Amino acid sequence: MKTVAVAGVGMSKFGRFPGKDYRDLGYEAVTRALGDADIRWKDIGAIFCANAHAGLGVGHNIAAQIGKTGIPIVNVENACSGGASAFRLCYQSIAAGLYDICLAIGVEITPRGLLNDTSWPEYERDMGFNVQPANYALEIQKHMETYGSTVEQFAMVTVKNRRNGVFNPYAGFQKEVSLQEVLNSRMIATPMRLLMCCATGDGAAAIILSNTARLKAKSRKVIVAASVLTSQTYGNKKGAGSVRIQNPDRTEIAAQQAYEMAGCGPQDMDVVEVYDTMSSAELTSAEKLGLCEKGTYGPLLEKGTFDLGGRLPVNTSGGLMSRRHPLSATGLAQIAEIVWQLRQEAKSRQVPNARIGMAHCMGAPGNCAITILKKDG
Amino acid sequence: MGTSSIQKKGIPVKEGLFIPGKDPDSPPRLLACRCSECGEIFFPRRSICQNCQAESLEPMELSSRGKIFSFTVVMQRPPSNYRGPVPFAFGWVELPEGVRIETLYTGCQLEDLRIGMDVELVVETLHHDDDGREIVCHKFQPVQDDNSRNNGGAFSP
Repeated sequence: MKTVAVAGVGMSKFGRFPGKDYRDLGYEAVTRALGDADIRWKDIGAIFCANAHAGLGVGHNIAAQIGKTGIPIVNVENACSGGASAFRLCYQSIAAGLYDICLAIGVEITPRGLLNDTSWPEYERDMGFNVQPANYALEIQKHMETYGSTVEQFAMVTVKNRRNGVFNPYAGFQKEVSLQEVLNSRMIATPMRLLMCCATGDGAAAIILSNTARLKAKSRKVIVAASVLTSQTYGNKKGAGSVRIQNPDRTEIAAQQAYEMAGCGPQDMDVVEVYDTMSSAELTSAEKLGLCEKGTYGPLLEKGTFDLGGRLPVNTSGGLMSRRHPLSATGLAQIAEIVWQLRQEAKSRQVPNARIGMAHCMGAPGNCAITILKKDG
Repeated sequence: MGTSSIQKKGIPVKEGLFIPGKDPDSPPRLLACRCSECGEIFFPRRSICQNCQAESLEPMELSSRGKIFSFTVVMQRPPSNYRGPVPFAFGWVELPEGVRIETLYTGCQLEDLRIGMDVELVVETLHHDDDGREIVCHKFQPVQDDNSRNNGGAFSP
């Protein structure tokens, strides 16, 4: 296996951009990543482009704006983990020695309103089960009952992330919210309120991965220590699961695989992006990632452990709560944040001396992608 | 063939989920299957065991009483298909056979729902389709107190 590095990252701003096409957003992200990597378009060996809503040939159309070089372009749909999955396909291709340099793109113009997740069986959609916040609510109701986690703690996740997002120029919301604003926002599905749910949006992110032998800017080398993708395991249905069989779930097995691959553990992390599509998802996922004991994320959050300046900053980018969530772009935006942190380029949200970081992403109807990056030298 | 009770009571949201009750003496029943290899139970029924991939799944009827495993009250209209009232509640009910069923809740003030509450199966209107036909589905409602003393609490969730 070849050693793979992140050569360059680029993003469009995330938000709502009426009149902008996915090609515009994709072009913005890709040209920034090319500039950041200082790599020529003609050096890219393959492209993996994630998108869920725009139809056929999204990667081809974005690439064609820059140039047609005859390389393989594969369009990837993996719901909210699409971008992270494209990243992993690049990683696999380079690690296997097939290509020296690959480009991962994630781009989405997300329809407004509650996400219409078409992966649900039709009769379940007829019965109204396909409300994403409601399914996280079912999980968190059990968490509250089992561990005594509180609605205030879920609200605090939003407050923390929106506070961090103020410093992220690519975030759709660069404005703090107070605990009271979150707790007084409209109820969506008990106990999840509007500001405990991330907003969807439009945007693109691109990452260029390279065989380390081909890297020019060695001083900025960020190594991919682990890139893992899992799907859901038996017995872990939305918030319920099998009564008798307790398998570790998609995040737990992904974390185990990623730590093994990277030769490190959760205690080694300096900075982590955790999938916060709902504020409760950050809490439950962080516990499954082993960042703390089960049931302790809420109390530690109250003590500031996961704040910028805390022992383990989580979602320094502001997370999905601040960025917005253009489905297929999110996974790459999370990884981009870890790259900036390891290069000490995160400015006002910089974690001092960050050397190891992790990005965790999930997607319907049961994906989990984990990426661990290490600073080399 | 097959006129009678089912059509009088409306069209099931999906075939094979349940048998609607014909009268008070024969309450509705959920139709599931059990894997003869590993014992896992599936609702709705399926042809291959999702746990061990065995193809020997035996049909079974499930108890109509269980306990609320989790619930949520949805205040926002779902993004597609659903035509019923909002707010509404759904979640998971655990049945004594050892299976959890995703279901709508009914028959009470939604704010009274609690984890662990004893509930029983009813088949009720989900909505009326474009042709005015009544579509029915399974729901669970809290058991009246005197009944729950007799029949509830036979297992721990």
